[in-house]
Amino acid sequence: MKRDTEVLSRPPRLAPAFARSLIPRSRGGSPRIPTRSAVIENLTQDRERLAAYDRLTGFTLRDDVPPTWLHVLTFPLHIHLLSDPESSIRLLGAVHVSNRMTLHRPVGADERLTLDVHLDALRPHARGALVDLIGQVRVDGEPVWDGVSTYLAQGVSVEGEPHAVERQLHEPSTPHSLWRLPVGLGRDYRSVSGDPNPIHTSRIAARVFGFPRPIIHGMWTHARALAAIEPRLPPTYTVDVAFTKPILLPATVGLTSTPTATGHAAAVTDRTGTKPHLLMSVVGEPPNK
Amino acid sequence: MSHEAVIVGGNRIPFAKAGGRYAEASNHDMLTAALDGLIARFGLSGQRVGEVAGGAVLKHARDFNLTREAVLSSALSPDTPACDLQQACGTSLEATVYIANKIRLGQIDSGIAAGVDSASDAPIAVSDPLRRILLKASAARSTKDRVAALARIRPSHLAPAAPSVREPRTGLSMGEHQALTTKSWGISREDQDALAAASHGNLAAAWDEGFFDDLVTPYQGVTKDALLRPDTSIEKLAALKAAFGGPDGTMTAGNSTALSDGAATVFLADAQWAKRHHLSALARVVDAEVAAVDHPSGADLLLAPVAAAGRLMARQGLSLDDFDLVEIHEAFASTVLATLAAWESEDYCRGVGLDGPIGTLDRKRLNVTGSSLAVGHPFAATGARIVPTLAKLLHRKGAGSRGLISVCAAGGLGVVAVLEAV
Amino acid sequence: MAALERVFYSPAGQSLAKRAGVPQAQQLRRGRTWPSGPIVLAPLGSPTLVRDALIALGREFHHPVIDTPGETPPGYGARIGAIVVDATDVSTLDALEGLRAVLRPALRSVEASGRVIIVARPADGDWEAHAVARSLDGINRTVGKELRKGATANLVYVDKSASSADVQSTLDFLLQGRSAFVDGQSWYVGTSGTGPQPTDPPLEGRVIVVTGAARGIGASISRILSRDGATIVAVDIPAAGESLAAVANEVGGTALHLDVTAADAGERIAAHVAQRGLRLYGIVHNAGITRDKMLVNTDADRWSSVLQVNLAAQLRINEVLLKKGTAGGLQDGGRIVGIASTSGLAGNKGQTNYAASKAGVAGLVAAMAPDLAERGITVNAVAPGFIETDMTARIPFVQREVFRRTNSLAQGGSPDDVAETIGYLLDPASAGVSGQVIRVCGQNLVGA
Repeated sequence: MKRDTEVLSRPPRLAPAFARSLIPRSRGGSPRIPTRSAVIENLTQDRERLAAYDRLTGFTLRDDVPPTWLHVLTFPLHIHLLSDPESSIRLLGAVHVSNRMTLHRPVGADERLTLDVHLDALRPHARGALVDLIGQVRVDGEPVWDGVSTYLAQGVSVEGEPHAVERQLHEPSTPHSLWRLPVGLGRDYRSVSGDPNPIHTSRIAARVFGFPRPIIHGMWTHARALAAIEPRLPPTYTVDVAFTKPILLPATVGLTSTPTATGHAAAVTDRTGTKPHLLMSVVGEPPNK
Repeated sequence: MSHEAVIVGGNRIPFAKAGGRYAEASNHDMLTAALDGLIARFGLSGQRVGEVAGGAVLKHARDFNLTREAVLSSALSPDTPACDLQQACGTSLEATVYIANKIRLGQIDSGIAAGVDSASDAPIAVSDPLRRILLKASAARSTKDRVAALARIRPSHLAPAAPSVREPRTGLSMGEHQALTTKSWGISREDQDALAAASHGNLAAAWDEGFFDDLVTPYQGVTKDALLRPDTSIEKLAALKAAFGGPDGTMTAGNSTALSDGAATVFLADAQWAKRHHLSALARVVDAEVAAVDHPSGADLLLAPVAAAGRLMARQGLSLDDFDLVEIHEAFASTVLATLAAWESEDYCRGVGLDGPIGTLDRKRLNVTGSSLAVGHPFAATGARIVPTLAKLLHRKGAGSRGLISVCAAGGLGVVAVLEAV
Repeated sequence: MAALERVFYSPAGQSLAKRAGVPQAQQLRRGRTWPSGPIVLAPLGSPTLVRDALIALGREFHHPVIDTPGETPPGYGARIGAIVVDATDVSTLDALEGLRAVLRPALRSVEASGRVIIVARPADGDWEAHAVARSLDGINRTVGKELRKGATANLVYVDKSASSADVQSTLDFLLQGRSAFVDGQSWYVGTSGTGPQPTDPPLEGRVIVVTGAARGIGASISRILSRDGATIVAVDIPAAGESLAAVANEVGGTALHLDVTAADAGERIAAHVAQRGLRLYGIVHNAGITRDKMLVNTDADRWSSVLQVNLAAQLRINEVLLKKGTAGGLQDGGRIVGIASTSGLAGNKGQTNYAASKAGVAGLVAAMAPDLAERGITVNAVAPGFIETDMTARIPFVQREVFRRTNSLAQGGSPDDVAETIGYLLDPASAGVSGQVIRVCGQNLVGA
């Protein structure tokens, strides 16, 4: 299917888009999602913001950027599409359940990027509907990064049988790293990611969504775990993450990681290593020719 | 022309508990005191020594040239060069190796290896955000920019950042790491307490015998290692509550090293040079090896010296039976016990690339004058404490006696060295 | 007390004290300095011993002014630096008149920190000669008390067999500022036998152990001996720690932490010396302690600890260092110096244990000296009086002021005064001086 393309001259401002995306839609009719792609071309990366992002997530500041950073750059387009009047999926109540991203080749901080995001694969789930936010980053037409963020839209019903979602299993083991997450971490991550969702910074907002305290962004946890094993990773890889349980701030969580036949597996758990918050698997990919 | 590096002797100040008698003494003060004692012992006053290499683990920004500054404060000739060197708890053993290597290459005739640490005078930094704001403000070109930068300071930024003994990559303290090792190797509380009691007993006996009279110069009125408890016993140690590894943990304040303050030095020289200068050598530095483990991926943080020892012994064609004495730094009692267990483990040794197990150590040869549990462990000073102690012990046993030093360090590092009495 | 002391030593207080007739302390000439005025040599009869010694020392000397009975007492017309009376030929009462006749004009003219030195023979010959030899001592002590402004009088008995070379180091010491606080004393100089060759500086390259070197008099001894060329092995208890290292480093010597009462103290000193490839020339047994109490309150522990440190330790250490063939032991021609005390010689209330130990030192050197003479080893002691140290600074002010002033120089001595005297005894040229106890007390009223 050939998609329409909406080219934005610059990343949309997140707060208004986010506010729009919160407005409930009428429930009439079958659920819809925007079919067009949202694109930003020739985006220059902000090195100072990248440094702040690396400091906060534990990455080493290098000339090549972390793949999760590319996700952060595409995130405004996610919000932009979800705030579209066409969309019946609202960010309100949508839960980021999994993420997969592939780095096809190392991406430099100096490279100008084309970001391309669209929604796809609205499908039934036992507790609502799943939808994929599909992003791609290109440099001079060459795809260098692909990302898929899967959200669960609660209370949305889509026709059909719910797909059986594969549940990754977690073998409890004592963490060999402990992270102490301060209460202000959500605020700090907001300042580098631009994600304005108050559920990460406000106790009151968190309560509205049924959490006793603010929760840390799943993509921070993702980035922090990837940073922990980054030195062991091949230059190009696919990383799959399942967000199994939110982390309430402040928190002390543990990390376990082990090499696997094809790459690396890691889990962010409670401090005893029994209950997982995030499960990660990394598989090496052949680089772009 | 070949050169041999020999240990002429050493000097340290007694080690003290953090916040104790050295609470007001800085790293600079303690290192200078240890150096001055060494200089006095060997009549080096006013002399130029080839090089002084030393360091500290907990360092103030102003101490960027800590060792050189201490040399300038000491009685050595101000023409004596110095360098700072740091390898966590392996610092002064690594400094010993560095000086020995320079001697063996004929680059210097004599040198001093040293280490110092103060847990009392640890650097307190401003928080990271505040530091960045201050840096921006100081770089600002106009008052307006400066005010704008400073306006970003928030009350939460003002909380100071204390230095941490946590591993940066894992967020675990040494004790928490060792607790994982203790559990996975099944090291019992009884064995740990017995090792701690033996350390205190051995150290107390050595002090009583006057063993340290030519290895230690008292400082600030401290005449003996202040952590030493000659009257401790397995029973007393058994009464302590677990400090690491949760409520059912086996590691206590009694079988773990306490934060301590102190400084230590080693005087090394070219064997021929020492002879010409009428300095008698205790032992020669035979060889050394450093290893590391991937603790962020779950390897036992403090067992890196196992691989180092195995590789070193293989290179030298030595087996465990060839060592008359063995010094294993007692970061924790369970570190020593896990090290001994790892030496015996075929799986572990092969896992770190050795050909087979290192072997079983006769405990009578281990830490015979006590180690860090009883002496204390000012991180960077421990290597320079052990080297002269072992050299003297070997010298007393007679020429050709061999000793092994094994020091674990933060960052999954392990430093080992072999000494041989001359 | 400190306030009282400040007032007393303020300009106003001092001027008041002067008018009240409190003797004023003269700043003493110290160190390797000569008298500023001329040296007068007064040979009684025609002896040449002192003349030859002064020539060897490179000192010019002047003829004495003689007081002739019946005439107006003559004077020198200017200050003289010192008068050295060669009384080696004096053995009769009549001959003592010659002494009076040279001393009377000289005493009027001697400068501040000037010197009166009488050189005589030890008692020998008939009864009159014995009496005369002792008379000289009485004269010397009295002259010492009559002299003002830091001038001193001392008497040297020189053995008949001794040469002018044997007396050189003694005259050198007495004329120089080094003997500033030695006053009214007499001692014997014998023949050197097979002593070591004198060197310049006198202790160049010689290894000397100083016990109790970390502070006070011990530190001062280390510095003075080092000034004279010695290589110092500074010994003190382990607890002395840093201050011992500081002294050793200052004098470019080595430090040895050692409790002198340890059973193996002597062996460890010898090992320290031998390990460094050195030969031991001398030892100064300076380490000492006090545990003052009236005897009625002195228990066994107080008693023995003082005797152990001050005397028993020396005995044991000497035994080891003197054993032939000990590596690092005392070489032939070596030197042993002990520290006695005026308290030991005269007794002092509350110091029975201390006096026992210090008098014992005097007895020890007298006994050891003849036994070691054939090895060329000399054994001597100094007996300090009131010396200004950290220890005596703790004595209450009024009491301290009394101690200071009850001597002919009306002041306390400095640690350097003790050290200089020890340096004189250690001088290779002092080979003829052995078995002596020299008081460094400014002629204290207390004591023999």
